[in-house]
Amino acid sequence: MFPHVETTRNTALFIRIRVDFKEMTLTVESTRPSSSTELSAAEQLAKMAAENAALKVELQGARTNNQRYLQNVAHQLTAPLGAIKWSIEALKDPEIRLERKGKLLSSIYSQATILVHLIKNFALMSNLEADHELGQFREKPEPVDILRMCINLANDFQPQAAERGVGIVVSERSFLTARPPEHVRIVKNLVAQALSNLLENAVKYSDIKTTIVIKADIAADGALEGSLIVSVVSIGIPIKELERKRLFDRGFRGDAAKQKVPAGTGIGLYLANRVMQLHGGALGVSLKGQESRFFLVFPASSFA
Amino acid sequence: MKKTILFADDEPWFHEPVRLALESKGFECLCATDITSAIEIMSSRDIEVVIVDVMMPGGKSFTTIDSQEAGFHLVKIVRDRWPTVAIICLSVIGDAAKVNLIHALRADYLRKGEVPLARVIETIERAAHQGGERTWRFS
Repeated sequence: MFPHVETTRNTALFIRIRVDFKEMTLTVESTRPSSSTELSAAEQLAKMAAENAALKVELQGARTNNQRYLQNVAHQLTAPLGAIKWSIEALKDPEIRLERKGKLLSSIYSQATILVHLIKNFALMSNLEADHELGQFREKPEPVDILRMCINLANDFQPQAAERGVGIVVSERSFLTARPPEHVRIVKNLVAQALSNLLENAVKYSDIKTTIVIKADIAADGALEGSLIVSVVSIGIPIKELERKRLFDRGFRGDAAKQKVPAGTGIGLYLANRVMQLHGGALGVSLKGQESRFFLVFPASSFA
Repeated sequence: MKKTILFADDEPWFHEPVRLALESKGFECLCATDITSAIEIMSSRDIEVVIVDVMMPGGKSFTTIDSQEAGFHLVKIVRDRWPTVAIICLSVIGDAAKVNLIHALRADYLRKGEVPLARVIETIERAAHQGGERTWRFS
């Protein structure tokens, strides 16, 4: 069957559409390519077909990336569970001496911490988008002691850091010197997760036998004047200037980061940035060779 | 003399329980967290079995390889340079084509965290006593 379509314009354009159900193909052609208008229409169809083909390739690429990303996420979730399972099996092994089993308990604790952190990130990802659409937080901001929060999170990540021979220090002196407000009005869970993401990255990418420092400042001048700055400073893989612009993109991981730690979701900095934006603040980064400083900016308007 | 097992794995929380179980049975265990250091250890020590993860960093001598599949490179290098060393891949990958590739290189494959620890230990023990001239298959 070869249906034809006639345009309502005076210069009639006949188009023949050939549908082959066996081969699942659709061919569109102009039956009288005599005038320039008709040729143009044929060209337009050809252009659309080319665009369609390009989109198909792009879609295939996106599907492949998506599949690879999901495999990575699955690895991220199953790996800690597998490690916990083997550690428990080793704990039950009567041949392993009791004094050597303490390390396994510590490993189980740090793997459980990683798992909880990951799951919170995935939950946060969907909640944040909803919050953004609503224009408000689902949880009410409350006055939070930032120094206390930093100390608690540093304690949470201590076993994981110790496994890599990395130390974590909260510079209480910097908090005393900067004299930040005692409390900042924030959504505690969200900011804790943002800070956790900075700490988790610092632990993963730091060189062994280095120390991660968490410190506070009050910006003295510039656009951020009067804001509270909480920084996580670490020594590890150098971040390329070209990658710096993409660090906060969802799913992005730098080449050196992928080389050092093959598995990762690339959503930590994206989420931290979104959380701080929703608080009217920001996430920032400054790089100096192997030293990376990621910082959360709390505007003076959030001081309780 | 103690038989030596090398773990080429950047996730210590995975090889820690395996290492403790093997050490309690009298094996010596060494660890390398990237391909470069694994090859350095292989070059200087007599190793009976090398346990390889698929996803691991290349290290300073292999900066351009895809770390998502770096373990395959190590398996090929070991098979080429140390043909009698037994290789066991401990990985979370489940792709049949990749598992076949591992088997084609005369390396064994066990799924990380899923196979019971006792079976992992049994497989490594057997490999250490038989060397790399034979392969083992587990359904």
